[in-house]
Amino acid sequence: MDITVGIIANPVSARDIRRLLTNASSLQITDRANIVLRLLASLGSMGVNKVLMMPDNGGICGHVQRGVKRENNYGDTSWPALKFLDMPVTSSVQDTVNAVRMMVEENVSAIIVLGGDGTHRAVISECQTIPIAGLSTGTNNAFPDTREPTVTGLATGLYVTGKISTENACVANKILEIKINDEHNVHVALVDVVITTDRYVGARALWRTETFTELYVTFGEAHSVGMSSIAGLVNPVDRLDPYGLRVELGSEQESIQTLMTPIAPGLMKRIGIKHVEKLLPEKTCLPQTTAGSIALDGEREIEFSEQDRVEITLKTDAFYTIDVARIMLDAAKNQLLLLTKNQ
Amino acid sequence: MASSNPFPLSKEELLKVYKTMRSIREFEERVHLEFAKGGIPGFVHLYAGEEASAAGIMYHLRPDDRIASTHRGHGHCIAKGVDIRGMMAEIYGKSSGVCAGKGGSMHIADLDAGMMGANGILGAGAPLVCGAALAAKFHKNEGVAISFVGDGASNQGMMLESLNLATVWNLPAIFVVENNGYAESTSAEWAVSCDSYVDRASGFGMPGISVDGFDFFAVFEAAGEAISRARSGGGPSLMEVKTGRFFGHFEGDAQTYRGENEVENLREHKDCIKIYSKKILDAGVVEKSEFDAIDAEVNALIDDAVEKAVAAPEPAGSELYTDVYVNY
Repeated sequence: MDITVGIIANPVSARDIRRLLTNASSLQITDRANIVLRLLASLGSMGVNKVLMMPDNGGICGHVQRGVKRENNYGDTSWPALKFLDMPVTSSVQDTVNAVRMMVEENVSAIIVLGGDGTHRAVISECQTIPIAGLSTGTNNAFPDTREPTVTGLATGLYVTGKISTENACVANKILEIKINDEHNVHVALVDVVITTDRYVGARALWRTETFTELYVTFGEAHSVGMSSIAGLVNPVDRLDPYGLRVELGSEQESIQTLMTPIAPGLMKRIGIKHVEKLLPEKTCLPQTTAGSIALDGEREIEFSEQDRVEITLKTDAFYTIDVARIMLDAAKNQLLLLTKNQ
Repeated sequence: MASSNPFPLSKEELLKVYKTMRSIREFEERVHLEFAKGGIPGFVHLYAGEEASAAGIMYHLRPDDRIASTHRGHGHCIAKGVDIRGMMAEIYGKSSGVCAGKGGSMHIADLDAGMMGANGILGAGAPLVCGAALAAKFHKNEGVAISFVGDGASNQGMMLESLNLATVWNLPAIFVVENNGYAESTSAEWAVSCDSYVDRASGFGMPGISVDGFDFFAVFEAAGEAISRARSGGGPSLMEVKTGRFFGHFEGDAQTYRGENEVENLREHKDCIKIYSKKILDAGVVEKSEFDAIDAEVNALIDDAVEKAVAAPEPAGSELYTDVYVNY
């Protein structure tokens, strides 16, 4: 029986204006392909025999195919069979959504995601209860891990081959649900929602702090970068805490405190904090700003006007992630990677 | 009507941008019609659909900033301030044209407007702007120079050499790749070996970004940052504008390489002018009647430009050897 893992690799993450504004990094396409090749090697070593991958026109698949062919020429037979999903490529976020939908139909055991917060957001909209393992190839990346992909592949392989139980391998995550007017217009954020007074999404990134009015986070770590770092430095909230945080932002004059925060890679800004409160699950909040734009996980995505009713609600147990560090620790304790032991 | 303007431009500025984009669109739609009648000599390559790129970038430029354009240059010319009647006459090959009717569509130039020329040689604008940017740097006048190329010309050696030179000399130059998906009829997905222009810029040691060319505000914001950075000594950058053209590579192109309903979908869902005007109307900053008035003004201008161009004389035979060499 096949043990199948899905891979979503976004070729267009980390391409926005932050490279110009703050020297943010841009992982090259060939490096993204190399990450996939390293994943194939480690997944194969754990017994995964099939990988389904999203096709793309951005170059990743082409370089991966070249690498797989090279590996076959070397005579390495331990890699899983690689199959690209048969789907049209639109070079938009819809590709991720469609690919994950197909992976669910094909009963993959886990999905590894290469991208930023936005890519992960698209994956969790369709992955249902299938756990995901995230690898950061985006800009801010408060959500996915910055980790050597080989280890992510090993941990994912240990889980999907049944060497580590689901309860020891997977953790439930929170999301923020944003409803505009009715249930037909619902969006999610994995880490943060920022309300700005800009009435246009424009170049999408957030850097003009004078336009920020409110911040909602599922979690905020003091060591993170991006908008959630504001919460992390004011009142840290763990990924596993059963609540989030809501922060009112404003000018220094009207605020109770002013923070220095890394709101994007290379971009330290002074942020005025007017009010901080816990965000409880299922408690719906209405932003005080009546018209502007809504940034999901660091990028302006939605424009809204005075006629729109915006509701923001924290949801728990929304999707599952593979806890790589915990799996590898369990693997060490239980000697799962121990092949021989000399007395 | 909203009480405040949530956009980065005043109402007057928003209307000015609308007029620029509408002027380009109407100009191109009219050239499309007039070319089919057989009155226009030579080749024309139309810019319709890509207006947000020219308008969003050129908005930030001073008259003395220099640009170098492409074979698809009408939009760049109009956004940079070249006289529309003079352009139309030039395309008709008439003596009242901005180049006295000797350049035609692919060689419209107006140095007084900072327009160094459309260019029939693909990628040839890139080294030209390195020179203009070097001049601005020597003069310490905070000037910038912008080169436009398409996804096809982005592969030309001159373009790549210019990226290298601009970084080495830290020039106030911006390289705009207007990626409309096709090099003539060849898909960019097939023909551009480096899969991302951001990667390509990074390889030359300059920042590269990619922006949605169907959204004026996306181009406007990104270009504003790139230009401001270059003016203040921050050096060159590359900006990929993802866009799409409403017409063929040239007038007469059967476009058999394009997908079914591709152009119809572009016009319906990705029309940058529709997207822009809807956004502003929805915000209540501008009344529809104000857009209508600009439409009427632009239509009248283009009508007049065509009428005058048709009526104008061709260059005299005695002018054959004048203007061949020009001292700048």
